[in-house]
Amino acid sequence: MSGLITNNMSTIVASSLFQQLTSAYQEVETTNESSLLKSLRQGAYAHFEQAGFPTVKHEDWKYTNIHHLVNKTYVLNAEVDIANLDLSKADIPGLDAHRIVLVNGQYVLAFSSLDDEVGVVVKSIQEAVEEIHFQKHFAQHADKTGSAMVALNTALYTSGIYLSVPKNKVVSKPIQIVHIATGDQEFFAQTRNLYILEANAEAEIIESFITLDNTASNLHNKVTEIVLDENAKLQHYYLQLASDTGSYINHTEVYQTKHSLYNNYNCNFPGVAFVRNDINVRLDAENVESHLYGVNLLADKQLVDNHTIVDHMKPHCESYEWYKNIPQDEATAVFNGKIFVREDAQKTNAFQQNNNMLIGDKSAVYTKPQLEIFADDVKCSHGCTMGQFDEDALFYLRARGIGEESARVLLVHAFAFDVTSRFSNDAVRAYVEDLVAKGLEE
Amino acid sequence: MSTKDDELLKELEQEEYKYGFTTDIEMDIAPKGLNEDTIRLISAKKNEPEWLLEWRLKAFRHFLTLKMPTWQNFRNPDVDFQGISYYAAPKPKKQLESLDEVDPELLETFAKLGIPLDEQKVLAGVVAVDAVFDSVSVKTTFREKLKEKGVIFCSFGEAVQEHPELVKEYLGTVVPQTDNIYAALNSAVFSDGSFVYIPKGVHCPMELSTYFRINAENTGQFERTLIIADEGSYVSYLEGCTAPMRDENQLHAAVVELIAMKDAEIKYSTVQNWYPGDKDGKGGIYNFVTKRGICKGDNSKISWTQVETGSAITWKYPGVILRGDNSVGEFYSVAMTRNMQVADTGTKMIHLGKNTRSKIISKGISAGKSHNSYRGLVKIGPNADNSRNFTQCDSLLIGDRCGAHTFPYIESRNKTAKLEHEATTSKIGEDQVFYLNQRGIDSEKAVGLIVNGYAKEVLNQLPMEFAVEAQKLLAISLEGSVG
Repeated sequence: MSGLITNNMSTIVASSLFQQLTSAYQEVETTNESSLLKSLRQGAYAHFEQAGFPTVKHEDWKYTNIHHLVNKTYVLNAEVDIANLDLSKADIPGLDAHRIVLVNGQYVLAFSSLDDEVGVVVKSIQEAVEEIHFQKHFAQHADKTGSAMVALNTALYTSGIYLSVPKNKVVSKPIQIVHIATGDQEFFAQTRNLYILEANAEAEIIESFITLDNTASNLHNKVTEIVLDENAKLQHYYLQLASDTGSYINHTEVYQTKHSLYNNYNCNFPGVAFVRNDINVRLDAENVESHLYGVNLLADKQLVDNHTIVDHMKPHCESYEWYKNIPQDEATAVFNGKIFVREDAQKTNAFQQNNNMLIGDKSAVYTKPQLEIFADDVKCSHGCTMGQFDEDALFYLRARGIGEESARVLLVHAFAFDVTSRFSNDAVRAYVEDLVAKGLEE
Repeated sequence: MSTKDDELLKELEQEEYKYGFTTDIEMDIAPKGLNEDTIRLISAKKNEPEWLLEWRLKAFRHFLTLKMPTWQNFRNPDVDFQGISYYAAPKPKKQLESLDEVDPELLETFAKLGIPLDEQKVLAGVVAVDAVFDSVSVKTTFREKLKEKGVIFCSFGEAVQEHPELVKEYLGTVVPQTDNIYAALNSAVFSDGSFVYIPKGVHCPMELSTYFRINAENTGQFERTLIIADEGSYVSYLEGCTAPMRDENQLHAAVVELIAMKDAEIKYSTVQNWYPGDKDGKGGIYNFVTKRGICKGDNSKISWTQVETGSAITWKYPGVILRGDNSVGEFYSVAMTRNMQVADTGTKMIHLGKNTRSKIISKGISAGKSHNSYRGLVKIGPNADNSRNFTQCDSLLIGDRCGAHTFPYIESRNKTAKLEHEATTSKIGEDQVFYLNQRGIDSEKAVGLIVNGYAKEVLNQLPMEFAVEAQKLLAISLEGSVG
């Protein structure tokens, strides 16, 4: 199964990514697509063209400057040799899982396996146009946020997958989705995913992001829309393990209906140069539950920006959010958590916590936990702390013969424990704890 | 029975905003409109030196380049800057030597407001008052006594005449003309305000107080307060405000600058009770104020306390720049909104010096269809080693149509800093109300009691006289919002 993956866009000589995208769009417009897609792309492109790339003058991008990322040109249709893909970087010890492999966003069937799961549909997003869920949900959730990056993705996505789990189906094993970045030319990839869990369906999705060796610098603008039908349950992991040539802008939009449960575990580790995550959860029915967890251990000059929105639209819902940031060296951690409680969303319980442990001398944390509440019978709280190693705790451990290095690792472990202890998958938990220990040693 | 009820109801209605009267006084009002001529006129009326006029014009030219900000989560009012008169002073405008020369109507107004202007009657008092009527400072009491100690407490206009060197040195150093659109506007057209200078090592013997009153129609009030506490001094300053009831919105855009030198302490308290508009949101004051202090020297301290119950829209963020090592910044706030009011308030604590500490306690109470936001910034600079911040913002909701919002910005660039922030939002405790009901206290009083207890942490920071007034204000504001 060796071969080249290409898409139908050619490279255009241009001085900036924006110009490249303008030409790319003109090409896309002439292709033969369904009228639904065409009109979606048209509207989205018009929005992006007018808004342009976000700058630090946008409130949502205040601490996150992407100028250096978009101020140059990329190859938009990187050709990839998939003959010798080394997936070992994504291996999670002790995890028995189905695997879906995406190379620069393109779905590679040859490396993927989902046998014995009756009714589960996985296909590339281009081939999913006829799916009924696609027609109902595609670009109906993320695009409502008005984000220019989402609009850009809608207008010009070239890859991604469609995944649906049928009614009453409980997927027997976790599904690991491996996102591989590879190529010797600097490239820009736009991936678009749509995951649907029908009524009573249950699944666990683990997404690992890795970079193969000798990969030129690469920028990703990925959008994932997730729809959970009545009583569906999804455990969703993001494990960011890419190397310092990679930069990621990821938008995840989750739309939940009655009695559904969505848990997101967002983990970022030293390596990747730049990450911006937008994780938005819309609780659009009664008795919905959502949990958002994050562990971010950063090093060197990394910047990891996590923006979340938990939108309580209906009464009797519960949300719980806990993010831990540990920036080392000159790393910057940004957290922006928004909780909305709409009018009439009475009896809402919303909790949000953000803890930061600054280790690096030049590390920085910018955090903004926000509450916007328009109903009165609610219980909402948020907390935020910033601090350092507890000197007393360090002394206590050292007094008991534990070396300073190990004592520090132990304390960071304890700090992250609040979040890691809530992981639904033991193998992933052990794996993440190991990565935290490794990330501290380096 | 019913007639008694009616009477009571009538009384309550009047209680709604008891400062809503106007005073018939001959006024000297500048024509409406904003342009360089207006500024020259104000400057000429105040007999200002050339440098101040230039300073104003510079601010005005900058103002013209600015657009209205759009980041709020409430409807931004359209303010017609040309429909406002920028100068209104009671006539006759001559040098006021003693109280006898003050217009008796004016004295009556202040009596209604409960401000003891008459020095004879308040010899035993401990508060020195500077009363600002519309744009002009009318009377400052206790000046002689303060002078003995070397304390300068006068209207801003007098300060410009008598202590130009101080004004020139410090004006605009904390809130520059370019800070924001309303600060620029204020810098261009400010008409008066208060000026305080506390010399080295002086513990100001009494509370200093300013009372602001907007009276004339279609005027904006733009006062400027400048307080300088020299090394080792202490001053406590109070500010209160009221305005008549009018159907149109009036603009109040003040600037307050505080400067604390080494070892100095400034305590600034505000009880803000501008006319909030009627229950449909008609009329009311737009209170867009820029307040900031700087702890310039080591070991200095600035403390803001505010009780906000008035104004249609309040938009203010008293901040402290903690530049000196070991300096302390504090912010205590109670904001109560009801009907259609909007209060968007909070603080900025900028930690620059080492071992600097700040504490923020913000309590919001929203009732009716009002919205109450805490919006604040805590910033730790790279050199602010071992700095410390504690922030607590709580919101209490009364009624299912109101909103409470929190927008804290927390930025740290120093690993030795410790910050804590917590916020809660909840409904008034039904079990607490029930407990009080059981003991024969009706729901309205019960809510009043609970709210007062809730706000106590902040009210305790106010000087005695103000604390009582603030408590009453909260009680009045709560009337009719329960049930």
